[in-house]
Amino acid sequence: MERKVMIVDDEPDIREVVKVVLEPFGFEVVTAENGDRCIEELQRGFRGVILMDIMMPGMNGWETIRKIESNGLTDGNIISMLTAKEDPDTDLSQMTETVLNYIRKPFKAEYLVSTVEKYCAWLDQNQKAPAVGN
Amino acid sequence: MRIRNVIVIGASTGGPETLRKLLTKLPVLDASILIVQHMPIYVNESVRKEIVSESSMEIRLAKDGDRLQNGLIYLAPSLVHMELVNNLEIKLAKGEKVNFVRPAIDVTMKSLKPSPSINFIGVVLTGMGEDGARGISHIKKELRGKTIAQDQSTCVIYGMPKAAEETGDVDFVLPLEKIPMKIAELVGSAGASENTLRNSMTAARKN
Repeated sequence: MERKVMIVDDEPDIREVVKVVLEPFGFEVVTAENGDRCIEELQRGFRGVILMDIMMPGMNGWETIRKIESNGLTDGNIISMLTAKEDPDTDLSQMTETVLNYIRKPFKAEYLVSTVEKYCAWLDQNQKAPAVGN
Repeated sequence: MRIRNVIVIGASTGGPETLRKLLTKLPVLDASILIVQHMPIYVNESVRKEIVSESSMEIRLAKDGDRLQNGLIYLAPSLVHMELVNNLEIKLAKGEKVNFVRPAIDVTMKSLKPSPSINFIGVVLTGMGEDGARGISHIKKELRGKTIAQDQSTCVIYGMPKAAEETGDVDFVLPLEKIPMKIAELVGSAGASENTLRNSMTAARKN
């Protein structure tokens, strides 16, 4: 089972913490310092769990998600926000089915590990048995 | 006249874990439950398995034409809206997104029609945006049902329950841990009927 995680965050410390927390559990952690890098990684074929910061210079997290959606790059990925922002923005046009969770910084390492672990298992399950639906 | 219970539960961001916790504590009810959770299609089956894991009721991914049975939970699949025809038959329909999502909680709730023989209950859980708010008003005002919103302290995101609450049509604003018993109380669950238990157990064995 592939256990790939991408952390999209402009703060190097956060990217490092996520790597340090997840890599010992066997996750391959890809880091992206902004939305453009995240899109590049997806275009190169990254598939896995994406942890997305909201407040980033240039494209913010929501704008990055919109671009992922409009470029047809959502398939096979699960996105969770990972942010210090207490409340999401109130702009309803940001509503999307793509984001499954909203993890606030500072986060507990155990919660991050168990959440990412579960999402990787979901993606693995999906590869083995295509989702039911119309 | 036998009274049926129809419950619609809506959730979005943070929903799968919240639904699992809610259903873990929900007894087998003499009710049909419809769940609308915003999610990508490729996790439909995983989310179903996640929320069913400790539930005493069976959860099915809804199919077009399913007729509601008591004691079963129907999870809306992605990419289509889930409506109820004559308060009984599930219709999955393509169509424009509503509130920027599909399936939309509002669409499912607003497809319900007033009926003297049905006890309607609407529940809005954690999530961004305001999907479910119009549906809650519909359940309260048009169907004379009961409505519940998850409170801020137990929500991952308080957006949807807040929007529902702001309509003034929410009867109970409750922390997650109190929602299952409130639902059971509103259903009058002391008595899950024999048929209900049989449906749920048969379905669970097939799972």
